[in-house]
Amino acid sequence: MAKKTRDKNQHHSMVGEVWHQFKKNRNAVIGLIVLCIFIIIAVFAPMIAPYGYDDQDAAHTKIAPCREYPFGTDNLGRDVLSRIIHGSRYSLMIGFLAVTISIIAGGILGVLAAFYPKLDNIIMRTMDLFMAIPQMLLAMCIVAALGSSLFNLMLAVGLSSTPQFARVVRASVLSTRGQEYVEAARAIGGSDFNVIVRHIIPNSLAPLIVQATLSMARAIISASALSFLGFGIQAPKPEWGAMLSAGRKYIRQCWWLTVIPGLAIMVVVYALNVVGDGLRDSLDPRLKK
Amino acid sequence: MAEILRVEELTKYFNTKSGLLHAVDGVTFSVEEGKTLGIVGESGCGKSTLGRVILHLHERTSGKILFNGEDISEVNAQKLHALRKDMQIIFQDPYASLNPRMTVGNIIAEPLKNYKLTKSKEESEKKVREMMDIVGLADRTYNLYPHELDGGRRQRIGIARALILDPKLVVCDEPVSALDVSIQAQVLNLLMELQKDRGLTYLFITHNLSVVKHISDDITVMYLGQMVEKAESNEIFRHQYHPYTKALISAIPVPKYNAPDNQIILKGEITSPINVGKSCRFAARCPYAKENCFNTEPVLEEVTKDHFVKCHYVKEINGF
Repeated sequence: MAKKTRDKNQHHSMVGEVWHQFKKNRNAVIGLIVLCIFIIIAVFAPMIAPYGYDDQDAAHTKIAPCREYPFGTDNLGRDVLSRIIHGSRYSLMIGFLAVTISIIAGGILGVLAAFYPKLDNIIMRTMDLFMAIPQMLLAMCIVAALGSSLFNLMLAVGLSSTPQFARVVRASVLSTRGQEYVEAARAIGGSDFNVIVRHIIPNSLAPLIVQATLSMARAIISASALSFLGFGIQAPKPEWGAMLSAGRKYIRQCWWLTVIPGLAIMVVVYALNVVGDGLRDSLDPRLKK
Repeated sequence: MAEILRVEELTKYFNTKSGLLHAVDGVTFSVEEGKTLGIVGESGCGKSTLGRVILHLHERTSGKILFNGEDISEVNAQKLHALRKDMQIIFQDPYASLNPRMTVGNIIAEPLKNYKLTKSKEESEKKVREMMDIVGLADRTYNLYPHELDGGRRQRIGIARALILDPKLVVCDEPVSALDVSIQAQVLNLLMELQKDRGLTYLFITHNLSVVKHISDDITVMYLGQMVEKAESNEIFRHQYHPYTKALISAIPVPKYNAPDNQIILKGEITSPINVGKSCRFAARCPYAKENCFNTEPVLEEVTKDHFVKCHYVKEINGF
C-alpha cells in the first residue's frame, strides 16, 4: 500500500485513468504520435502537399528522390510525396470506416448470439459459413456485386471481417456473463440494462478494442490489396495500395514507386498495432503497475 | 421470535445433457429472525444452489418460499426488485464477485444507486464511508480497485455491499472458505457483531464444520440435494444420528498431539445427482447400508426433540 501516492479523496475519471496507464507504455505513445501525425496530414492534405495528386509534369517523369521531389516522381511525372499525402485520406478513412462497419455489425450479432441461445446457432453457423470463404475472396465478391466505389470498398472490407468480430464479442460477453460479479450485480437489485451497461460491457470491451485496432491495420492492407487488384479505388486517385500496384510495373527502374507506398502502409499498420496493444493493457486495471 | 424465512419442499432441477440434475430436492426448513441457520454439506450437494434459489438468482422448480409470512415463490420483476432490498447475499469468492473495473467506493455505492436511496453524490459517499467504517475498511481504500486489496479486505467490500441496503436476511455463501485461516476468524467475528447490532438473520452455507459451530444456532446437513439431519447446533455436535453426519463430524481435525484417530473414512465419491432413483442417496457410501436402503427412500423424522434425521435404520445404528 505504501506505493500509493494518490490522494485518497481524488476522483479519477475513466478516461483519465486509462490515459495515465497508457502514458507508461512508450511504444504505444510513439504509435499514437505517428498515428496523430498521419491524421493531421490526412486532414490538411491539400495544404501540406506541394503538388496536386494528379498534377502531371511530362518533363519530369521517373525522377529518383531528390531535393525537389523527396519521394521522386512516377511514370506520369506526378510527385509521389503529394500522392502519398493525399492517399493517406483514403487509406485512413477506409481503415476507420471499414472497422466501424464490422464493429457495429459484428457487435450486434455477437451480443444477440450470446444473449439468446435460440439465435446463437443460426447466427454463429452463418458466421462460420462466411469464415470458410477467404476474406479477400469475400470482399472481392462484394465489390464485384455492388460495383467498385470507395464506399463499396469499405463495405466489402468491413463485412468480410464481421464474422471475426461477432465471434470475439460473443465469446467475451459469454464469459463475462457467467462471472460472479454479474450475479452479484443482479442480487443488489440491478436491472438488466444496468447489469449490461455497467458490468458486462466494460468487462467485455478489451478483446474488442484489440481486435478493432488489429483489423483496422488489416482493413488498410485489404483495401490496398483490393486496389492493387483493381477492385478498389480507380486511378488517378492516390490510394496507397493502388499506387503500389501501379508502381509494380517499374519496380526494376524506379524502386521508390513501390517502396514508398509500401513503407507508408507499414508505418500506419505498425502504429495501429502498438496503440491497440497499449490500449488493451491500459484498459485493464489489473495490469496496473 | 418471529419466523422470517420458511422454505417448503423446495426443489431445483437443472436440465443437463445427460438428464435431470437434482440440485435441491424437497428441502424444508424455517429460520427465525435474528438467528443463524447453518447449512453444511460437501461440494456439489446443492447448498449454494439452495441459497440462490431463495434469492431468485435461480428460479425454483417447485416448492414454496415464504418471507415474512408472504409467499414469494413466484414474483414479478418489480416485486423482486423490492424484495432484494431485504434479502442479500455474500459470495464465496471475493476475487470473482467484485467487478474489477469499479473502485471500492463505487462497488459499495451501487446498491444505493439501484434503489435511489440517496439524493446526492455527497450523501451517497458519506453513507458508503460510514459502511466502510462499520465493516472495518480503511477510508483510504475508497478509490482503490479490488485487485489492490487482499482477500479479507475484498470480502469486507462484499459484506459492505450486501449490508448497505439494510437487509433483513443475508445468505452467506461460504463467505470465509476462500480466505486464510487467520482472516477467517476476523471476518466471522465481524459477521457475528453485525448480526448482533443489526438484528440480521443469516443463512450460513459452508462445508466447514468448525466455522458453522462458531456461528450457527441451528444446523442442517445436506447430502445430494436433500436434508439428512437437522438439529440445534450444540445438539448436533453432541449427538449425530445420521451416518453421514457422523463421518462429517469425525473429520474435524483435533488440534492435539496423539489425539485418537476416530475418523470415519467414507468409501467412494459422492454419487451423481443426475437421474437419481428411489433409494437412500447415501446408501452407496453408507457403512450400515442394507438392501432396503437401495430400494426405498427414507423420510426425515424426528428422533429426539427437534432433532430430525433421514435414515431407515437410525434407531438400530444409534441403539435407541
